[in-house]
Amino acid sequence: MTPAGVTACWSCRGPVTAGDLFCDTCEAIQPPRPVDPFTRLDLEPGFEVAPEHLDRCYFDLQRRLHPDRFATKTSRERAISVALTADINLAYETLQDPVKRAIALLEMQGVTIHAEGCNTMSDPVLLMEAMEQREALAEAETSDQVETIAAVATREKTDCLAELAEAFNTSDLSAADRLTTRLKYLMKFEDELRAARIRFSQTT
Amino acid sequence: MSYSNKLIDHYDNPRNVGSMDKKDAQVGTGLVGAPACGDVMKLQIKVTPEGIIEDAKFKTFGCGSAIASSSLITEWVKGKSLDQASDIKNTEIAEELALPPVKIHCSVLAEDAIKAAVEDYKTKHGGTADDADATDAADAEEARSA
Repeated sequence: MTPAGVTACWSCRGPVTAGDLFCDTCEAIQPPRPVDPFTRLDLEPGFEVAPEHLDRCYFDLQRRLHPDRFATKTSRERAISVALTADINLAYETLQDPVKRAIALLEMQGVTIHAEGCNTMSDPVLLMEAMEQREALAEAETSDQVETIAAVATREKTDCLAELAEAFNTSDLSAADRLTTRLKYLMKFEDELRAARIRFSQTT
Repeated sequence: MSYSNKLIDHYDNPRNVGSMDKKDAQVGTGLVGAPACGDVMKLQIKVTPEGIIEDAKFKTFGCGSAIASSSLITEWVKGKSLDQASDIKNTEIAEELALPPVKIHCSVLAEDAIKAAVEDYKTKHGGTADDADATDAADAEEARSA
């Protein structure tokens, strides 16, 4: 019996774990296996990810795994490096986006995500806030009014991110789930603000 | 493609956009959202003492299909009883507007919004439809004697 998640290296049959990029025994590159994005990028799981740290991990891995480095290797190794690079890109995109990052963390802990799929929800406080925010933006007549609304929205997003980090740090998963949905609405509103700014810049 | 024309028509000329006073005893308000896309939909109904929906208004912030679905359902519920309105299925909306599969959830949103509005109205009037009728009758009685 091998420990959970351990398989044999395709090249030397030595033991490799799910997140391993290379075999410890023969140093052969390992095909990607389904792992969470944090494991993929060799990061500690957590909501707070410093962007510069994430970038460093990502670019470091890209350097080590770039298909050009495998130009003189076997075609199998070249194909593995292409597949791994794609996996790493996907993990990087997931961890860059706070909503996707939160969803990944919730999924890793077995929580059914409300911010996904085609379910509807009736969280009156959140929906009332979202409705009032959007109504105010729809009624804004000057770009100053839009900027006032944007300033409030930015502050709310900052607060929401801090609360979400706190919820994950204290393992309050139901709060994390609720705050992830709230963040989703706040980020959608950012898109709507961007569109409103473009409208005002065209009319003035 | 007459169906997609219906969708475009409801999107370009949405019917019954607006708000009612949600504190009005005659008004039921449904507020629902689709978290996956960050859409929010408010649907309000004005109900006669006999339990018939005489007017409906909506405000939807979302994609064209969500706007068209809510516009259509406000047209459909007018003149219906509360139970008839609650019986409207999202599949009927999706079919009428010929919504593409990825937009089916917009019709689900509209169905949930009308159900929530009916529920809100019933809650205001004592929890059940029967109670609502009784309350309305009492209100009407009061209004006459006043």
